[in-house]
Amino acid sequence: MTTTLRGGRFTLSQPEREAKLLPELAELTAHHYASCAPYARILAAMDESPRRDYAHCRDLPWLPVRLFKHHTFKSVPDAEVFTTVTSSGTTGDASRIYLDRAAASMQQRALSETLRTVIGSHRLPMLIADSSATVARGGTHSTRGAAILGMMMYGKNHTFLLDADDQVDLPAVRAFLAAHGERPFLVFGFTYLIWSRLHPVLVQEGLDLSQGVLVHTGGWKKLADRAVSAQEFRRGLELCGLRRVHDFYGMAEQIGTVFLQGPDTHDLYCPDFADVIIRDPQTWREAPVGTPGVIEVLSTLPRSYPGHVLLTEDLGVVHGIDDGEWPGKRFSVLGRLPRAEARGCSDAVGTP
Amino acid sequence: MIQQRFPKPQESSTAGLLTRLSAEPPDGRLVFGDERVVDFLDTVSRRLLAPTLTRSHPELAALGFFLRRSRLRRLLSDLANRPAEVRVPRGLVFHIPPANVASLLVYPWALSMLAGNANVVRLPTRGSETTEPLLELLCECAEDAAPAVSHSQSVVAYGRDEEVTAALSAACRLRVLWGGDRTVQELRRFQLGPDVRDLAMADRCSLCAISARSWLAASSSEREDVVEGFYNDAYWYGQAACASPLTVCWIGSPAQAEAARRDFSDRLEAVVAKREPRIEPEIAIQKRVATYGLAAEGDVEAIRHVSNALAIVSLAPGRLLDRWSGTGTFGLATFASLLDLVPLITTRHQTMGYFGLSRAELVSFVEALGGRGIDRLVPIGEALAFEPVWDGYDLVHEFSKLVTVR
Repeated sequence: MTTTLRGGRFTLSQPEREAKLLPELAELTAHHYASCAPYARILAAMDESPRRDYAHCRDLPWLPVRLFKHHTFKSVPDAEVFTTVTSSGTTGDASRIYLDRAAASMQQRALSETLRTVIGSHRLPMLIADSSATVARGGTHSTRGAAILGMMMYGKNHTFLLDADDQVDLPAVRAFLAAHGERPFLVFGFTYLIWSRLHPVLVQEGLDLSQGVLVHTGGWKKLADRAVSAQEFRRGLELCGLRRVHDFYGMAEQIGTVFLQGPDTHDLYCPDFADVIIRDPQTWREAPVGTPGVIEVLSTLPRSYPGHVLLTEDLGVVHGIDDGEWPGKRFSVLGRLPRAEARGCSDAVGTP
Repeated sequence: MIQQRFPKPQESSTAGLLTRLSAEPPDGRLVFGDERVVDFLDTVSRRLLAPTLTRSHPELAALGFFLRRSRLRRLLSDLANRPAEVRVPRGLVFHIPPANVASLLVYPWALSMLAGNANVVRLPTRGSETTEPLLELLCECAEDAAPAVSHSQSVVAYGRDEEVTAALSAACRLRVLWGGDRTVQELRRFQLGPDVRDLAMADRCSLCAISARSWLAASSSEREDVVEGFYNDAYWYGQAACASPLTVCWIGSPAQAEAARRDFSDRLEAVVAKREPRIEPEIAIQKRVATYGLAAEGDVEAIRHVSNALAIVSLAPGRLLDRWSGTGTFGLATFASLLDLVPLITTRHQTMGYFGLSRAELVSFVEALGGRGIDRLVPIGEALAFEPVWDGYDLVHEFSKLVTVR
């Protein structure tokens, strides 16, 4: 196995990253071509068989991420599938991602290495802006449940903001802060829950979260609908003393890979084993810095399924390369691609 | 409450609407082939064919031609060949037309009106941009129409209101459903009278058949015309109309078919580049998902994404593309003879556009199918033209009743 995991740190400049990732991703393309028949059939039909030398990561063939919702792709024998990750998408169909033992442990190590950059190497007391019922109910079958379960490994003394009835459990939060509020602790939750459930409590109760490190994810759509910007989000939390705030971008189809917000700005950065390419949605060529397009995510983690080069349905923009707090590309996610209107006579009134 | 949109905009209760539609108008009830209806539809036709309108809404021109007096008269005389029976209206017809193809609001309704029926047409909740100007025009024409016409016809809009659908379903003498399989099944929940039935137009898909030898023998300008016609059939409603072709079947030897396919693809590529259809990025990704999915399942041998607007897939032997796969996705397949296509045709197949095939070949193909699928065989370029016989139904016949007088 040539794929190595040199940690989810944020250390590689773009030329270094390209030089490291290109051969590893090309090797993965050849590996999946040899191990996953449906993947091989796609590349063969596209006349993209992995024989030629790729000059750049942008030349590697990509799969649309939605393909995982409709088809089974695995590059390991059925007997070696150790765990299956299911994501529920916005459309209701779920992607299924197959991990063998090696892939499962690798994605966990990669995720913890990445998160250590912002939360340190010790398990911190952890406040979760969600309900324990989400975990109990969803478990690995809901995106939210799975993300919380995944993150809980990086904390201890887990305390949930919401009780089983989705009501704020103020006594529990107070007890948590009394016990752990003086030293660094971890706060985790989905972006819209942080804003709609945690932030009001902080404002009303005047709670001190100045020692907290907030890691959040889930996208901005629900907040954008309420006209809350990323800037406003940060400013609002800062007023409550929560200054260390890190958004992350990731998806079940590339489990273990998260793109993390740097310490001081709103930009996302790529860990050393990953990269993003923004593509022009008309030509699919790489868009220049500053020009929005569709986000392609690249990661050397997926070895048990061909998810190493994926075209998402999210819009994003690269703001700069090797000119930010951390090396590599710094980018933002701008939201989901606008849904196209259905046409034609097979699409009827729909409502009785 | 129901929003009535024709003959004039006003609010109405379901009971009020049904009372109005069944009341005797001052000039007497409509009869089959009523001249007052022909007059009204001909007025609509002339208004639809006004140059300003046809320029901005070309699909309405086709509707305008369809509703001309001479055409309607011909249609009626075609049905007048049963001396032992008198043709009469059925009664109240409840139409649920498809969303987003505005003219389909009018075609079946007009034919039902011509049969002398009272009609309630439910407006799709999400209409196309053509719906509003069309309704406006119809309302203006209704002002000068005979009372028997305006009193017995209604276009209504209402939200998710099961009671209204249930009441109209219970009151009608025929229900006309258009839509996806799911929508049609959902609407079936609303009971009709015991002796009443549905005319249901559910999900269908369509294809083309071209003789490779005829293609190669045709002049360049003739091929050009066919490809232009194919483009219109395919792209007018984003390839999502039931009659829009998904697969192009090439009939001939492998060598001839290969040459013809390449020539056709090149010409289509040129037309698409010239016409520049607007394809949203989400649809472009949908095309990748669909075509890659076909490849993953082993249903295609080669995929070529020429641009966001055009993807050409070479189907594996024995396969047809039967599902909308994003605007401008075409399957190509080769068959030694048209009859080799027979085992692949199902009841879902509606229209087959053709080029270079003789009537005798087409008829023996239809006979070999034995009614299992394919309702129309029309020259390429005419797939979307609405016809009084649709999905195998002679609509005016369905909309009327025969009374035996012996």
